[in-house]
Amino acid sequence: MATEVEQHINLEVEGGIGWIRFNRPEKMNAIGALTRTQLAEAIKQAERDDAMRVVVLTGSGRAFCSGADVTEMAPGAGMRTPEDVGNVLRNEYMPMLMRLRTMPKPVIAAMNGPAVGIGASYALACDIRIATPEAYILEAFINIGLAPDGGVSWLLPRLAGTGIAYEMFFTGKPLQAVDAHRLGVINRIVPAERLEEEARDLANQLASQPRQAVAGAKRAVLHALTSTYEEAMEFESYLQEAQAASPEFAEGVQNFLARRAAKK
Amino acid sequence: MGYEHILVEIEPPIATVTLNRPKVLNALSPAVIGEVAAALGELEADDSVRAAVLTGGPKVFAAGADIQDMAKQTAVDQLLRDQTGRWAPLAGFKKPLIAAVNGYALGGGCEVALMCDLIVAGDTARLGQPEVNLGIIPGAGGTQRWPRTAGKHVAMEVMLTGAPVTAQRAYELGIVNKVVPAEMTIEVAKRIARELAAKPPLAVRLAKEAVLKAFEAPLSEGLAVERKSFYFLFATEDQKEGMHAFLEKRKGVFKGR
Repeated sequence: MATEVEQHINLEVEGGIGWIRFNRPEKMNAIGALTRTQLAEAIKQAERDDAMRVVVLTGSGRAFCSGADVTEMAPGAGMRTPEDVGNVLRNEYMPMLMRLRTMPKPVIAAMNGPAVGIGASYALACDIRIATPEAYILEAFINIGLAPDGGVSWLLPRLAGTGIAYEMFFTGKPLQAVDAHRLGVINRIVPAERLEEEARDLANQLASQPRQAVAGAKRAVLHALTSTYEEAMEFESYLQEAQAASPEFAEGVQNFLARRAAKK
Repeated sequence: MGYEHILVEIEPPIATVTLNRPKVLNALSPAVIGEVAAALGELEADDSVRAAVLTGGPKVFAAGADIQDMAKQTAVDQLLRDQTGRWAPLAGFKKPLIAAVNGYALGGGCEVALMCDLIVAGDTARLGQPEVNLGIIPGAGGTQRWPRTAGKHVAMEVMLTGAPVTAQRAYELGIVNKVVPAEMTIEVAKRIARELAAKPPLAVRLAKEAVLKAFEAPLSEGLAVERKSFYFLFATEDQKEGMHAFLEKRKGVFKGR
């Protein structure tokens, strides 16, 4: 009997934007083994396909992503041993989160609802976050007796500061959108009915920017986060040399001068 | 002289040797090694060249040896062919040699980079010794040059796991001098080469020789080599020029005499 494979992840390309959508609304977009495979594939495609100049990660239904499918972690289910848990993190989550965070194009999280556990890891690995007022970030690990994973021990202290990060990891209490916004973890808050439109507008705007310069900004930041001030400036200087030799720069200067002349 | 597998570009006072078999990721065959060795021999003798860059171009440095060819070989074939031994002219090159590494430098490719004096790596470069996965070990100096540069434990990790390290990690380990955006790697290596080419050639040559001695000899012998080279340089015109230029607050012009 042929069974149709469930689509836990949708990937759609529309006008230069790649929409990766968690598509398990009945399970609050929980991530199971099949989800991981499909999500890894979608992220890989988004990275490779030049037709996608900007990527938006979002969820369907009420949640952005409710985290790992805990039913698969129960005794007798998919992940049998502690080592399985570690292997899934190292061999599955790690490569795709690295890819999501480092791909040479902007990645926007459009947080339509809560981002919980490993779901928060995806939201925080994106470059920019916009969210509905109902969204929140919850580091739920402690609530089931686990420590943080999926890169949040690195990302959250950098985005929110160590005090906030520790409080979230220790208490397992949510960081509401409004607070996350105040802390700069979320770039902006928009009403639920306008989230997609807002994400699309932002994505369109970024897609219309000089592609190589945008990728350059991302490379510079990623390099700087693991280097000293001096190393970062040196890296920037070489990146800028490459950029200054690009048609994007020539065109950019020409357009700038034309705009200024037109104003006079 | 014309070459089939490499490009040699001479822009005095520097030269750039580019491995040029992108279709096979610059796999190192005996023919390639022979050409690199011959080219370096020529550059060694060419007084217009004072420093050189070795690169694999913008995409890949060299992803090891030609495994298809190696798979058929016997121990006797390997011994008689002595492919890895043919790199001697590279390791013994007397002028500064800078590796410009983009993409993969694996196996023999990584070992060749380690034979160079400085390594500039693109931000997406990867260096490693995956030989163990094929049931062999590095054969062109990997097991000896890694521990001398990065220490025993890092060398063991690299040799025993076969997993490559990123450019950034290689930089932190002291294997790589500089990590730059990949599109700038060759250019930055050339600039360093030009900078070194402007220095007094005899001092550069003897400094290089003395540093390499540190890997070969006990400390007392290395110090003796250093001291004798130091004394010797006082017999050169460049030493007079260098010191006068310094005192007169001008830039020295060096002739290598």
